[in-house]
Amino acid sequence: MSGNTEEPKDLRKYLQQSHDRIFDNNRKWAEEQKAKHPEFFTKLSAGQSPEYLWIGCSDSRMPAEAITGLEPGEMFIHRNIANLVCNTDLNVMSVVNYAVRHLKVKHIVVCGHYGCGGVKAAMTPQDLGLLNPWLRNIRDVYRLHEAELDKITEEDKRYDRLVELNVVEQARNIIKTAAVQQSYAKNQFPIVHGWVFGFHDGLLKDLEIDFEGQLKSIQKIYNLTMV
Amino acid sequence: MPTLADAIERLVAGNREYAQRAAEADPNAFVELSKGQAPEVLWIGCADSRVPETTVCHCKPGDLFVHRNIANCVHADDLNAASVVEYAVAHLKVKKVVVCGHTKCGGANAALGDADLGQTLNTWLHPVRELRRKHKAELDRLPDDDARAVRVAELNVQQSIDVLKQHPAVKKAATDRGLTVHGMIYDLGAGHLRLLEESGRKKGNGLWSPT
Ligand SMILES: [Zn+2]
Ligand SMILES: [Zn+2]
Repeated sequence: MSGNTEEPKDLRKYLQQSHDRIFDNNRKWAEEQKAKHPEFFTKLSAGQSPEYLWIGCSDSRMPAEAITGLEPGEMFIHRNIANLVCNTDLNVMSVVNYAVRHLKVKHIVVCGHYGCGGVKAAMTPQDLGLLNPWLRNIRDVYRLHEAELDKITEEDKRYDRLVELNVVEQARNIIKTAAVQQSYAKNQFPIVHGWVFGFHDGLLKDLEIDFEGQLKSIQKIYNLTMV
Repeated sequence: MPTLADAIERLVAGNREYAQRAAEADPNAFVELSKGQAPEVLWIGCADSRVPETTVCHCKPGDLFVHRNIANCVHADDLNAASVVEYAVAHLKVKKVVVCGHTKCGGANAALGDADLGQTLNTWLHPVRELRRKHKAELDRLPDDDARAVRVAELNVQQSIDVLKQHPAVKKAATDRGLTVHGMIYDLGAGHLRLLEESGRKKGNGLWSPT
């Protein structure tokens, strides 16, 4: 044992307090909801049929439902470091699969954010241990757009642009899945969108991904429509 | 009749309203958020749309670092969740990790049987289905499938916590600075969070600390 062991009692107390806060807050919220809409929780209990799947960064500053003004039950959500969609990752692939094939969501939003710590870490020439293989995906995005990014001399601007390009690449990775291609061929949904959130103004920026165009372009090589 | 484009317009309008309200409530809100994040809690929850962590905990942006997947699983071989834990614990130095399951979980419910959900989901849920097989006797005694799904959700939270305890960053932070790991179940029908008692521990307050 080392570190804070000289003050375990205070630390315990402190941790217990912030812990209690979560429960107090939760009770307060539940009461408010019930007062406003008596049927609120009964209806939610019956099942979910969200229209949206959100794939966003784990960053604490972008809680998806809060920044889009949606109610519980409206958006299925996956969040990971730097909103990556890797085709060998069973975790995100299960989410996409369930959302598209079982919940039949109409829209998939990949949302990154300026000032992303994950993207910044991937631009740092440093061994980050366990994070290396995950962040490697962002370094690969850089390599795909090396010429464009290298031309941006200001570091902050280059980093902002990498955040945007990363969102576009991850949106393309979603379009490459069999689930999305097959559902779109049959139902004309889901549509995949790429957005970036800015902490300086709290606004979402639409990168205006041309879904149909991207679908056509990836299908030259990644066509998985045929069952 | 609503069109596909209307659904997206709704999010954009909702976001504009959020930005405006947040700025009105605190003119410095976005200046502060731009500076960086220092969340105290890593939240590992289900992707289910009915359990939005920040709303349910009545928290603010900046409070919870979040990973959400199908049935709030932490599998030992999953690099996605392991990377989130590494970043949150070793770099952001969160003080607690919460694993939160919930009642009426589609993942837990699917794990009660062996219906074919396709190879991807079958593989992801395999460890949860194994839990069901392992605890068959106990689950059989429960009155109905709703109760069984809740019990599977609890067992799954406990299993995720067991995996988390083996994560190198969690081990180190628990010893060095008192990081704690907590299991919870969110009751969809009541809107309440319930702390899980750790089985086999005398004073079960849901806190885990290294022995
Ligand atoms: Zn980020
Ligand atoms: Zn669930």
